[in-house]
Amino acid sequence: MPERNHDFGKFGARGIRGSDLVARQLDALAGFIATSVTTRRGLLARLNYLTTSPTAWKAARAAGLRVTDRTLKAWLAGTQKPSKANLERIEGAYRTVRRHNVARHLLKRLNSGGGTRVEIHPLNQSQVPRPYQRTLEYRRINVRRWEGMVTAWAAGDSRALDDAWTTGVLPDLGSQWGQYEYVTNIGFAA
Amino acid sequence: MSDFDAIDSLLASLTPQPALPEAQVRRGLRERAALSKAQVARTLGVSPATVTGWETGRDPSGELRTKYAYLLDGLAAKLAPSSPPPTDEATAPQPAQDESTTFPAPGPTAGDDMDDVEALAAPEPCVLCGQPARHHVAGFPQHLDPAQCATTAPAPDTPAQRSEGRTAKPVKAVPAGRRVRAASDAEPSGPIAVAVAEALEAHEGDVEAATAALVKKAIPDAMALLDATRIGGRYDVIAHPWMPDILKKQSAHGADQIWEARPKWTRAELPPGEHQVTALDINGAYLSALKTHLPIGQLEHSAGGVGHDRRRAGVHLITPSHWDREDVLPNPLGQRDEPGPLWVTEPTLRLLLRLSGPKHGLCEPPEIHESYTSGATEGLLEKFRIVLKDARDTAIAAGDEVTLEYVKAMYSKFVSTMGTSNYNRQLYRPDWMHLIRSQAFANLWMKALKAHEAGLTVVRAMGTDELHVIGDWRRVFGEGRGVTEVKVKDVYTAGSAHVAGGEG
Repeated sequence: MPERNHDFGKFGARGIRGSDLVARQLDALAGFIATSVTTRRGLLARLNYLTTSPTAWKAARAAGLRVTDRTLKAWLAGTQKPSKANLERIEGAYRTVRRHNVARHLLKRLNSGGGTRVEIHPLNQSQVPRPYQRTLEYRRINVRRWEGMVTAWAAGDSRALDDAWTTGVLPDLGSQWGQYEYVTNIGFAA
Repeated sequence: MSDFDAIDSLLASLTPQPALPEAQVRRGLRERAALSKAQVARTLGVSPATVTGWETGRDPSGELRTKYAYLLDGLAAKLAPSSPPPTDEATAPQPAQDESTTFPAPGPTAGDDMDDVEALAAPEPCVLCGQPARHHVAGFPQHLDPAQCATTAPAPDTPAQRSEGRTAKPVKAVPAGRRVRAASDAEPSGPIAVAVAEALEAHEGDVEAATAALVKKAIPDAMALLDATRIGGRYDVIAHPWMPDILKKQSAHGADQIWEARPKWTRAELPPGEHQVTALDINGAYLSALKTHLPIGQLEHSAGGVGHDRRRAGVHLITPSHWDREDVLPNPLGQRDEPGPLWVTEPTLRLLLRLSGPKHGLCEPPEIHESYTSGATEGLLEKFRIVLKDARDTAIAAGDEVTLEYVKAMYSKFVSTMGTSNYNRQLYRPDWMHLIRSQAFANLWMKALKAHEAGLTVVRAMGTDELHVIGDWRRVFGEGRGVTEVKVKDVYTAGSAHVAGGEG
């Protein structure tokens, strides 16, 4: 199995695409507001974050939250509640703006000190018939340059992130890198 | 004539046997130089057991004896500043000789066995330190006195300074692990001592400020120490494995589903009469608990009565058996309000299995339903623990409160933040956190059992490190500040005459 998988899970292997897990871990490191947007507290926290400065509000509008100032004022005052579609837009805009704001700082931390050590935990093959099971080991790798991944993650571009991870980082694992395209977990700290 | 030649050469080969110091002195010299037996043995080409023999009274002979004597002489000379030298005359006239350069140095430093010493007309660079030396030893220009060799500028060596450093006074000893060494040898060595020295220097000796600064950086320092102690280790510390849902927090400030079996037990009925109760405090409970069977890799699920595998560790869903000794001993599962199956950790399960075994027979074995386990080792944090324990012992012996606080912050914060803490993102092992805590609780429980079996009345077992007993506890536990000892927190009287009143 040298390179990319064509039909992952055909024999019952279970795993998640590595780049998705990288995005998930970066999200965890970015630290979003824990309270759900459906509660008043969570909604207010997000709206306050998006309206701290004209730049932030502009970024929120660019991220798809196109409402008038009057509506925003009504939401903040509590006289009006956002519709379900608008709640999703608020959440999406909040995440985009937050990722964008955190990216620079996060990138600095990930690149500092000669890069960051990444743990790669192999896919789960407990449901694969015995003859098809392969020996898969836990691997770890030091990633020195995070620019591509962090930029793609901040822009919400999952395809570019996948490209940066799968073609930029994984081949450093050696000829077996295709076995780690889908994994159970990817761990790193920043 | 050839016979006489042979006899002559035989007689010539009979060099006088170099004198060796007493057996205890040999050992003392080696230990003060912080050399292990293995190091010495390797250098001399013998086994460590042979060195042990020499240090307990046996004497080497032949060439080995010469080598050993040379080593001991060298050690004695190296360690001279911290121990009483033979005389001060040995060094005092040295500068005068250097000017005259006419006769070889007399005096004891030349040694009985150093016949091949010659004085040099012009100083040549010493082969050991490169500074000008005025003597040839075995054909090489060298300093005769190693102390001189060590200093970069031997010429301005005033006799006053040297004799000051060589006053005959006993050397202060400090424990280093199992052994004792001179306090002067316990200069900053190892990351902990270096960090403490740096902090004290940065705050110009302000103890409180230095302690605060050290406590603040205890978590990253502990992680760096962990990495340093794993170099060359068999297993990697896997910091971010996948975690099953039972180990995930339900909400931001909620708890996960693991029961750590924290004891919180008070004896229901005291024996009749008035008693003196002693509240004992277990020293460094979490430090000792770092020695536990920790799962190395990702936890794997198993279910359906596979039983307990001693080579694995993790968390287990068990139905505990009934505990019917609540009147004299706490429940090993802690203070539990609701019945039914629960997730416990490896130390708790091992404690229950041990208590249900033939030796104790205190309860029925628990029923294991499900497990998340991984291959385990007890040695994963062992080096880490020993480094911290040694630093703690040294600090206690030297009365060094800064190091003590620093070490305490290191291990306690390491344990409390190794789970899902934002203060330590380098390590994401909530399973280890639960296991180490449970191990501390299990250790306390075993101490309660020990007290009970020795005939003491156990009154209370609380938290991680608190045990209240009635009776002569000194014959059961040692008193002190070491991790194997206990210290008295409080002594009070309880019983029918008075109701528990504290008195200091």
